[in-house]
Parts: sequence; C-alpha cells; structure tokens
Amino acid sequence: MSADHSRDPCPIVILNDFGGAFAMGAIGGVVWHGIKGFRNSPMGERRLGSLNAIKARAPVLGGNFGVWGGLFSTFDCSVKAIRKREDPWNAIIGGFFTGGALAIRGGWKHTRNSAITCACLLGVIEGVGLMFQRYAAWQAKPMAPPLPEGVAPQQAQPLQA
Amino acid sequence: MASMLSDNGSETFDRVSNHNEIDTSKLTNIASILTTPGFDSSRLHPLAGLEKGVEYMDLEDEQLSTMEGSQGLIPSRGWSDDLCYGTGAVYLLGLGIGGFSGFIQGVKAIPPNASGRLQLNTILNSVTKRGPFMGNSAGILALGYNIINSSIDGFRGKHDVAGSVIAGGLTGALFRSSRGPKQMAYASGIVAGVAGLWSGMKDKILE
Repeated sequence: MSADHSRDPCPIVILNDFGGAFAMGAIGGVVWHGIKGFRNSPMGERRLGSLNAIKARAPVLGGNFGVWGGLFSTFDCSVKAIRKREDPWNAIIGGFFTGGALAIRGGWKHTRNSAITCACLLGVIEGVGLMFQRYAAWQAKPMAPPLPEGVAPQQAQPLQA
Repeated sequence: MASMLSDNGSETFDRVSNHNEIDTSKLTNIASILTTPGFDSSRLHPLAGLEKGVEYMDLEDEQLSTMEGSQGLIPSRGWSDDLCYGTGAVYLLGLGIGGFSGFIQGVKAIPPNASGRLQLNTILNSVTKRGPFMGNSAGILALGYNIINSSIDGFRGKHDVAGSVIAGGLTGALFRSSRGPKQMAYASGIVAGVAGLWSGMKDKILE
C-alpha cells in the first residue's frame, strides 16, 4: 500500500534511468571538459581547445554515466524481483553487481574490488537517503489540534462495529 | 461506514459545541466515492500499479501531462520524463545497432587459427569500439532534440509534428556546428527528417 510512487514501475524505469544518467553525464561532461580543455590549451587557441575537448569527451562521459545508471537500474529491478521486497538492500546488492559487471575484463581481483567499492558507495548513498527521510518525517510529525477551554483531552475510543 | 463516522462525529461535536445540525450521512466523503459502483482505481494513474491498493495522497504529484498532443508511447508527466525516456531509448538503440555492426566487423577481423580467447577478445574489442561511439552520438542527438523540443512545446503550449521537425533541424545544426555551414545544413536536414518521420509514425500508431 505504501509503495514508492516517485519512481516508475520496474521494467520501464530502466529506460528512464539510462536517459537520466546519460543526460547528467553529458551535461556535466560539457561543463567539466569545457573548463578542462580551456585551461589546458595554449593562449590564443583556448576556445577551440575547449570546444574540441567537449566534442571528444563529453559524449564518452555521458555514455559511461548512462551505462552505469542503466546497469544499476537493471540489477536493482532484478534483485527486487527475486527478493520480492523493497528496502535499501536492493540498491546495495545491485551496486555490488554493477561494480563487478563493469570491471569484468580486468581480471578476478579487480572485479571483486570494484564490486565491493560500488556496493559501499551505494550503501553510503542509501544511508544518507534514509537519514533525509527520517528528518523529513520528523519535520512533518502530526500534532494534536489545540482543544478549546474547559475540555479534558479524551482517550482514543475503540471503533464500535 | 458513513453512519459510523457520523455517530462519532456527533458525539464529539455535542461535547464541544453542543449542536450539530449537519446531517453527515448525506455528505460526500471518501467512503461514498470509493464505494461507487464501477469505480476502478487503476484508472487514476496508468503506471502506478494501483490495483495493489493506493496511497491517494501521493497521486497529486504524478498527474500525466495534460498538454495537447503530448502523450506518446509511454505515459509521461512532463518534459523530464520525455527527456529521460527518449534519450535512454535512443541511446540503447544506437548502442544496439553500433554493437551489432561492431560484432560483424569483429567476426570478419579475427586472425586465422585464433584461439578461443583471442577470438572473444577481438570481437569484444570491436564491439566496444563501435557500439558506444554510435550510442553516444545518438544519445547526444536525442538529448539535444528533447531539450529543444520541450522548450518549443513549453513556449507554444502544444506538441505537434511541426515543433518536432524544427527541434530536429536545430539539433542537427548544433551537432555539426563546428564543421561549417554545408555540414550543418546536411545534418540539420537529416535529423529534421528523422524527427518528422518519428512524429508522423507516432501519430499514426496512436490513432
């Protein structure tokens, strides 16, 4: 009943996450590589250098972010389907598999380290998210309305059938 | 259930204000809406899985976009949904096509008498060279197209084929803007054509 309605349902949300992550990576890449290319070019060629760096690097960064986000979303949905419940462990396990999947070509040790790192990172993100949720719930704590004078507060009565 | 509510209500009211003239059994409340025959909670929001029970207070945030003509193949809540789904779908398509063409190239490029591992590596190398390149370019085009299209639609207040074609033209021009006017014109034409085709097809399919 209290399912999370802020994200779309599972299979289709993978597309959403892919696109969103790609957009973030691409726009971030434009800013980052624009500044980096600008600063690393000789005087007189700075704007051109910046533009070249953007054209070469920003799509790659977008693609990397997009693949990461899409893979994470896929694993997250799979873990949810297998465990049949929604809690932060889904994200952490999904992160473990994502980190591992992205590092497979580098050998067994690298895969293992990458998987553990990614899971820890996601654990931190989920922890921060949980803290925010609890803070927001505390802020929105329901308060009893002020009673008029001369009335004692009643105890809650059981509903009569 | 309505009468139970009204009984408790009149009790507390009597204690506090001594007078309750409202006949609460005739009021429309949530109970009377929910028990209307033919009420189908899954029509309130198409994607949210409402047949599993519903949190009515959350529904305010997820109304589908009501702009004229804006609903496409996937129900969307506005420009950020269009952006994410569109970019994601096009990027994956580009990745798939590029990866497939890389696969074919890789298969052709395997040196004779290669071991299994070498074959795998050759194929993987050429897939990961071609696939992401095409995917990235397609994704950037889709990103630009969606941003410009949503801006045009927001400006005009409606969504139709002409806006999509103009958005496609601008995106193509921007994409090749550093290569000179002739390249810009070609790219502009191609992307505008594809955008127009897509919009036209979408309208046909959704009719």
